[in-house]
Amino acid sequence: MHTVSASLRLARVGIAFIAALPLLAQAAPLKIPRLPSGKPDFSGIWQTTSAADYDLEPHSARKDAPPSAGVVEGGVIPYLPAALERRRKNFEARATNDPRLKCWTLGTPRGIYYPEPFQIFQRDRDLTLVFQFGHSVRTIHTNGTKHPLETDNEFWLGDSRGRWEGDTLVVDVTDFGEETWLDRSGNFHSPQLHVIERWKLLDENTIEYRATLEDPQVFSKPWSLSVVLHRHREKNFQLIENYCYTLDYDQYYPVPKNP
Amino acid sequence: MTPTHIMRTPSSTRASFALALVGLVAPYCALAQQAPATVVGGGGTQRETTVRPIASGKWTGRRLPDGQPDVQGHWSNTIANHNNWTDPQGGVPGDPSPRGRPKNARSERAPSRVSDPPDGELPFQPWARAKQQEFLAYFHNPIRPEYIEPLARCAPAGVPKSFTWHGYEIRQYPGYVLFLFNSGTRIIHLDGKPHLPENIKLWNADSRGRWEGNTLIVDVTNNNGKARLARTGEFLSENAHIEERYIFDNEGKRYNYVATVTDPTVFTRPWTTTIPARRYTAADEPDGWNFEVAFANYDGKEPLVERYERICVENNVGFGNVAVTSAASTGSGR
Repeated sequence: MHTVSASLRLARVGIAFIAALPLLAQAAPLKIPRLPSGKPDFSGIWQTTSAADYDLEPHSARKDAPPSAGVVEGGVIPYLPAALERRRKNFEARATNDPRLKCWTLGTPRGIYYPEPFQIFQRDRDLTLVFQFGHSVRTIHTNGTKHPLETDNEFWLGDSRGRWEGDTLVVDVTDFGEETWLDRSGNFHSPQLHVIERWKLLDENTIEYRATLEDPQVFSKPWSLSVVLHRHREKNFQLIENYCYTLDYDQYYPVPKNP
Repeated sequence: MTPTHIMRTPSSTRASFALALVGLVAPYCALAQQAPATVVGGGGTQRETTVRPIASGKWTGRRLPDGQPDVQGHWSNTIANHNNWTDPQGGVPGDPSPRGRPKNARSERAPSRVSDPPDGELPFQPWARAKQQEFLAYFHNPIRPEYIEPLARCAPAGVPKSFTWHGYEIRQYPGYVLFLFNSGTRIIHLDGKPHLPENIKLWNADSRGRWEGNTLIVDVTNNNGKARLARTGEFLSENAHIEERYIFDNEGKRYNYVATVTDPTVFTRPWTTTIPARRYTAADEPDGWNFEVAFANYDGKEPLVERYERICVENNVGFGNVAVTSAASTGSGR
């Protein structure tokens, strides 16, 4: 008796599901915010909840990092042998050599998955990213312009030129320096780094961010990482500038007071 | 534009360049780029000697889809750089370099940035005046770390000094006006949310704005009071409350920054500063100072300017023609 009634219930659920299918199909166009031009609107304050900044690769818990299955597609970064040795040394010295500890600009893609919020301001011609950490500003141009003809600017955040593939923003980023790391664990790149980002709204409050990195000096082949970014929805939430590098000399600048 | 017109903006790229620019190159570059008729001495950049009044009133110019007056683009002050707050074209008193000294009479130079009180002087309390004089006296001989102004160490220029330090870009969005300065970034919130808690102090302060006709009115609090107003050593406290009025002309070519500072910790009365600015467009020649842009690489015919990143995080030295040390000797720059 019991099993029969369960089967009946399942059958009823199945019929209800089939009946609902046309409704699901009608709801197919994803409800995401859009600019008046119709392009997806990424405006907002975003942050990942992933442990990517601690270590992009899979790792067990450490004193200085929560455990994580990693965000690298395929698990590990395909380093060239000499680069792998450098990465090992970086890892050993991470407590002192991570550029983050000197409050240097985090770079691309690290700024995106660093555990502090960043804000996107968007116009048809560009997206402006303001990072709370260092209050640095990155512009992603979406007006059909190309990378500058000069290619040795060695920008901290790279030179970013975006284009639309449907509702996905694809950004080509070049012209990096060598003073940024990819995470706290010593993953790194050379000035030959080339990043291709893919930004896609999964719903109105969630972005899927994917970055493919190639660097013939450091990696044996291109590889990709992926994180999810969540919109800050707290009431009155705002960026609070973090000019962390000024804290080292803050002691010399007490606000003058009436003695 | 041909590729040869593409201009690099070294200060944006690497700290070593920023160091060179801030410490050495900028003052001389700026002088070298002056047409002889406008060189009046005093160092830094100098342009006009008068402030053109702009009345608050209706906005009849272009608007953005959200209704804001469209003031987006590149701007810079028309008078002088940050050498001197009350005698903007007078150089920094005590400058050992002859190039830094004014070559004409005070009456021939631009007026004080202090538009009220009418005498153009800041109404300092006596102890604060003494402190400003101390900062000025040691500007060219910074025997203590506090005599090196924070901007020379890559700190943001803050409010209101940013308006006299290099050109800058305004970008606008529904609910926001964004100021991208050479050193520092300000996000003006237009949505009426409350200010941050009082104990949070910021280099660029906390800004809440609204438009009234042609005027952007911004309430500024949470200033950390650490940025100097000029190389002449004027300063505010962390209790400063600033009401800014950005009054734009309807042609979209100029605006006046008129800000009233109320800070009973440092001053005997509120005072007002007026800093005139003008728009720079692709028709202007990038000069690496007032108009710090590059021409975009694209297939269109009209020249298109764009701003490169400006990031300065590693500086830890003085500037001002003489207060220059090598990054290596500080041991903390890199």
